[in-house]
Amino acid sequence: MFTLIKLIQSLFGALHSEGTPGQLALGIALGSIMGLTPLMNIHNAIVLAALMLLNVSFAGGLLGWALFVPVGFLLDPLFDWIGHSLLLAPALRGLWTSLYNIPIVPLTNFNNTIVLGSLVFALVLLVPLFFATRWAVARYRVTVGERVRQSKFYRAVMASKVYNAYKMFKP
Amino acid sequence: MTAPSSPLPAPSPRKRLKIFRWRAIGPLLVLLVIAGVVWWIFADTIARREAQKVGTQLLGAKVEIQDLHIDLANGDVTIRGLTIASPHEAFKNLLQADELVADIDVIPLTEKKLIIDRIAANGLRFGTPRETDGRVAATSDGKGSGAGIAERVLAETREWASQFQIPILQLATGKISIDSLDPRRLSTLPAAEALAAQADSMQKAWQAAFEGLQLGPTYDSAAATLAKLQRARATDPATLNEGRLAIERLKRANGRVTGLERGVKAGGAKLQSGLAGLDSARRRDYAFARGLLQLPGINAPEIGTALFAPVAIKPFERLLYWTQLARRYMPPGLLPRASTGPTRVRRAGENVRFPKEQALPAFLVRSAELSFLLRPTSDQPQRYAGRVTGLSSDPALYGRPMLASASGPQLTAGAMLNHLRGVPVDTAGATVGGIQLPSFEVPGLPIRLDPGAGTTQLGFSLNGETIRARFGLRSSNVKWARDTAAAGHGLTNTTIGDLIWRTVSGISNLELEARLSGELDRPSLAVRSNLDQAISSRLRAVVGEEVAAAERQVRERVDALVKEKVDPVRAQVNTLQTRANAQIAQQRTRLDELQKQLEQRLRELTRIRLPGTPSKR
Repeated sequence: MFTLIKLIQSLFGALHSEGTPGQLALGIALGSIMGLTPLMNIHNAIVLAALMLLNVSFAGGLLGWALFVPVGFLLDPLFDWIGHSLLLAPALRGLWTSLYNIPIVPLTNFNNTIVLGSLVFALVLLVPLFFATRWAVARYRVTVGERVRQSKFYRAVMASKVYNAYKMFKP
Repeated sequence: MTAPSSPLPAPSPRKRLKIFRWRAIGPLLVLLVIAGVVWWIFADTIARREAQKVGTQLLGAKVEIQDLHIDLANGDVTIRGLTIASPHEAFKNLLQADELVADIDVIPLTEKKLIIDRIAANGLRFGTPRETDGRVAATSDGKGSGAGIAERVLAETREWASQFQIPILQLATGKISIDSLDPRRLSTLPAAEALAAQADSMQKAWQAAFEGLQLGPTYDSAAATLAKLQRARATDPATLNEGRLAIERLKRANGRVTGLERGVKAGGAKLQSGLAGLDSARRRDYAFARGLLQLPGINAPEIGTALFAPVAIKPFERLLYWTQLARRYMPPGLLPRASTGPTRVRRAGENVRFPKEQALPAFLVRSAELSFLLRPTSDQPQRYAGRVTGLSSDPALYGRPMLASASGPQLTAGAMLNHLRGVPVDTAGATVGGIQLPSFEVPGLPIRLDPGAGTTQLGFSLNGETIRARFGLRSSNVKWARDTAAAGHGLTNTTIGDLIWRTVSGISNLELEARLSGELDRPSLAVRSNLDQAISSRLRAVVGEEVAAAERQVRERVDALVKEKVDPVRAQVNTLQTRANAQIAQQRTRLDELQKQLEQRLRELTRIRLPGTPSKR
């Protein structure tokens, strides 16, 4: 329940933040990488650092992560297939062999079919997701954004201590 | 505390967008420090849990570690209280170790490669009991995409061993049952049908060939010529010439009949051969039907197999499990290889390794020194020492086979896993003496055999897919016990059960030898023991007549089933041959008769002997 409230808070907080639609869209896009790929991997630490250091919506990142975790679970068979195809492609064998024998790189688990497949999928999805989200946020703010802000539901949801934590990283 | 209530900011002049959020560096650093502290505090616990998880996944049996300490500065890892459960036995450990100290190379860890220069293992104990079932792979059927390598290998070896399920001594129950005889599985019936079809087609072919002779016009023409000659005079050269031509035509017709006769003879020989084939098929069916009798032979080698094969196959099955596991984890060559990925909430996927020439393997134990106890609970436990070298995930990179050896009082053991070339060769051998061997139930009999302290020998070689293995057991302190718990066998208080009990219970020596050889998918197993001959001769005396009667019975069943088909075919073949021969003989007689009459008349007219005709006609 707490997670759900937090998610809704994140959603409204992000949508009604002072950040631009682009900042929010980039946050969601980066968060989608964490959601689509297995979490405990080095690339997700880099994504997290980027979310914190870059002037993008951190809440959008959390939102993207939360939204894309179930998608990741659902698409695991597809990721497995993508990863398998890439890792066992004869044309790429030289590349993978070189990477596998370079220090640090193997620690990224790129040689796992799910990790590689989901990361490639997430990176391919990144750009269209960014543009689609940016357009959607802009439309929302122009159309129903103000009415939602004035609603009792919005006030109730946002009147929570958790919101303060979010505010620390608002763009 | 409250949500921002101000309206959306009014559009303002475009301000320069900042790329970095510098104020977040602080929290990020704090996060890094926290991560570092957590690692520092929990590294040993995390490593211990990971080691347990990975070890369990690799071996197909629970791996438990009481304590693990990593000293990265000195490149040491110390494991205390290691327990590896047996993947084959529910409440037994494969081994336990008091302490393992590993000296690891730190730099290759950055390439996710574990290179252990030396392991010192102390206080190893084998086959100790455990309170919980430690099997992991055995609880899976080894099928499906989620099954790990250990699960799959265990399922494969279990299936491989199941082919040696020898029928137990059903005979000893005093009942000889015969499974239902399915006519579709008899080879005589299809053979008879094929022969009938062959006879039909041959009959048609002969009929067509006979009609193709076109003897009618020849007969008519010869008869007409003969009539002319009867009326002709010696001065009528045209009629004489016509008579000679008619004789030539009759000779040619005779030649055609001879050709047909040859064909009929050849066809008849084929049909006779087919009939002989029916007899062979029937003999095969007798053998097949005899196999439906649920009894083993009562010859000595078969007795040995029936009594001890299920016990003797176990060490082979276990060795095969470990060698096949080693082949999966230590494959030859440098091609990319996929293995099951790490267990996690998300799908595990597959980890693909990419070995590279002149690089380090992903896993290598250069040397391991083992010190262990046998008979740890006795007053004088025996201390042994062992050594393992070259245990590597990429033998082609390491360049040397894995060697293992152990020695001590009454123990010699050695193994070599050579996966350097395309065809892997795995060999192992061991002789263990003075060890209390586990007791076991003799399959199919309510008898329990306690071999006592004896000597066990094991030899194993798996060269590619060819297996040669030998298991020997020798004991002079054998104890036999009637297993009252096994009353379900139905042998209790039976004549045969008593007979076998009386035969074996007086024997205190046991010499058992099992040999396995051939291609891995269809090897042959031979088991013999010093008990075979004794049991065989007793059984033969008692149940020989019963077996002979049962065999007679199955022969009669086969005869009854095939008689309906075979007898008509046999009659059809004989009738066909007789009829064809009779037809040929009849035509030949008629041709000869006409030829004779023509020649006779010509002789009368010319009073000279025609060239090329027999002198006496």
